[in-house]
Amino acid sequence: MSTLNNKIGKGYIIASTAISATTALLIVIVLLLNSWDAISDIGWQLFSLKWHPPARQFGILPMLFGTMSVTLIALFLAVPLGIATAIFTSEILPGKYRFILKSLLELLAGIPSIIYGLIGIAFFSIWIQKLYGLQSGRTIFTAGILLAIMILPTIITLVDDALHHVPKKYREAAKGLGLYKYEVVKNMLLPIAKPDILGAVLLALGRALGETMAVMLVIGSIDKIPKPFFNWLSPGQTITSKLGREIAESSFGSVHFSAMIFMGLILLLIVLSLTIAAQLRACWEFGFRGKKCLFFDETRRKIRSIVGLRD
Amino acid sequence: MNRKLKNRIFGGIAYAAVLFCAAILFFLFGVIIWKGISAMSFDFIFIPAKNFGAEGGILYQILGSILLVITAAAISFPIAIGTAIFKSEYIKSGKWQNISNIFIYGLNGIPSIIFGIFGLIFFVNFLGTGISWFVGAIILAMTILPTITMSAYQSINSVPISYRESSAALGLDKWQVIIKVLLPQGFSGAITGLLIGLARAVGETAPIMFIATAFSGAGVPGSLLEPVSALPTHILALAQQATNPAALQNAWGASFVLVILVILFSTSALMVRVKYKNIAQR
Repeated sequence: MSTLNNKIGKGYIIASTAISATTALLIVIVLLLNSWDAISDIGWQLFSLKWHPPARQFGILPMLFGTMSVTLIALFLAVPLGIATAIFTSEILPGKYRFILKSLLELLAGIPSIIYGLIGIAFFSIWIQKLYGLQSGRTIFTAGILLAIMILPTIITLVDDALHHVPKKYREAAKGLGLYKYEVVKNMLLPIAKPDILGAVLLALGRALGETMAVMLVIGSIDKIPKPFFNWLSPGQTITSKLGREIAESSFGSVHFSAMIFMGLILLLIVLSLTIAAQLRACWEFGFRGKKCLFFDETRRKIRSIVGLRD
Repeated sequence: MNRKLKNRIFGGIAYAAVLFCAAILFFLFGVIIWKGISAMSFDFIFIPAKNFGAEGGILYQILGSILLVITAAAISFPIAIGTAIFKSEYIKSGKWQNISNIFIYGLNGIPSIIFGIFGLIFFVNFLGTGISWFVGAIILAMTILPTITMSAYQSINSVPISYRESSAALGLDKWQVIIKVLLPQGFSGAITGLLIGLARAVGETAPIMFIATAFSGAGVPGSLLEPVSALPTHILALAQQATNPAALQNAWGASFVLVILVILFSTSALMVRVKYKNIAQR
């Protein structure tokens, strides 16, 4: 009986592992298969400037451009602000307030993106419209600001952790040399925490690239690169907003559908390589084989703060 | 003097940054709470939506969201536990540990809309299931799978090696060790991970908007193969008619309820953690 149980148990464990692994692979495979029509039919024309399905023009560059510019604006705003705030929470703020602030940030990071979208549509787009005297406040810039706010908690908590993990004795030694706080942070803390800060930025970048709902609601959904291209106060389109708006309208199996899936595939590949790059830094440092890597991930951080993981 | 001045400027920048962030934080919470409370009423929570959500309440949306995440949890939890045991007890080499980590963290990093289009292609079109509650639950289960696996793995893996050795010395075989020793210790971690995952899943819009939900129309689904309505997609539908103040009002109300659900799930994760400390940390 016991050996039978053992076998059933082992079967269950292996089956569930197989399901998990297949799930991950299946997503990539399904996207690849379904974008094949577009790749073989349209070929390099996929990377052109015009998206017009009735004329069989499926250029995804405007969407790629939108994704990149929204993400850049978001990072440009959120990274300096996030790092400065994290320096404050980790180095200046007393410990007990740090816990409260971090819990609040956790809450903020947990707010579903659709609610950010609602806030964007009800406030930010109207503010931008009034501020710049535009016809519509739904612009690339609005989406960038909203995205910056969404990734800010991620950046703050991860950078704060990175700074906090620097051993206390380093700070004391630096202080003992008579350095001001600014010098301690600039010459000691930031260089030591730099790899982790980079990881935080990569993760935030991945999240920003893949964000759908909030961006979709405020970006304006026009498949064009604005003229001139740095005119961020005009409506645009990102890969995610395009998918969100149009995938239900395209019929399954058509080239149109396939081109949309191709866009999704590109997005997936970019985000996957970023996530993996962010997580493999530790492995590169120690050499990939044998040694266990310390993975760097927001959910993992959350679990660690709640469950109390040990590395 | 120059050094001192630099230090002052640095302090100033840090203070300014934190004030700015605090302002954003208060603005966001303020808006959600203020607008939400003013939309709240007994009727709003307990009557169904009318007129595409612009009138009436959100009863079915709340029910639908809860049904979706509970089914997702039921699908995801056993698979995640199995995977976590495999990762903790069967994968020995560091190389395979790293590869499995890449899978888990990679899956965790996939943008939610990709799950949505995957579900649309694979389930709705390829397997022909149609837009249904069940497909939505499967896709949500996929999005929270890595979270539960990570959490369960960590708590199973943190059971001291001496426990395994002593129970093996008593003549238990591997499965008995897992069932009698590791799972009881690892269970709280898995539940915590599940709740963290559910806090995320309940707010996800992009994965379910093409495959599981009918905007506003649906009531309580009669079977697993019928569409449901859910809070996030309801908010989306209302946000798209933002020029109508009544719709916007209901959108704020629905957002408030959604945030409450998210907070409920995440605080219960904390509670579980506090109540069942696992043995390694006692």
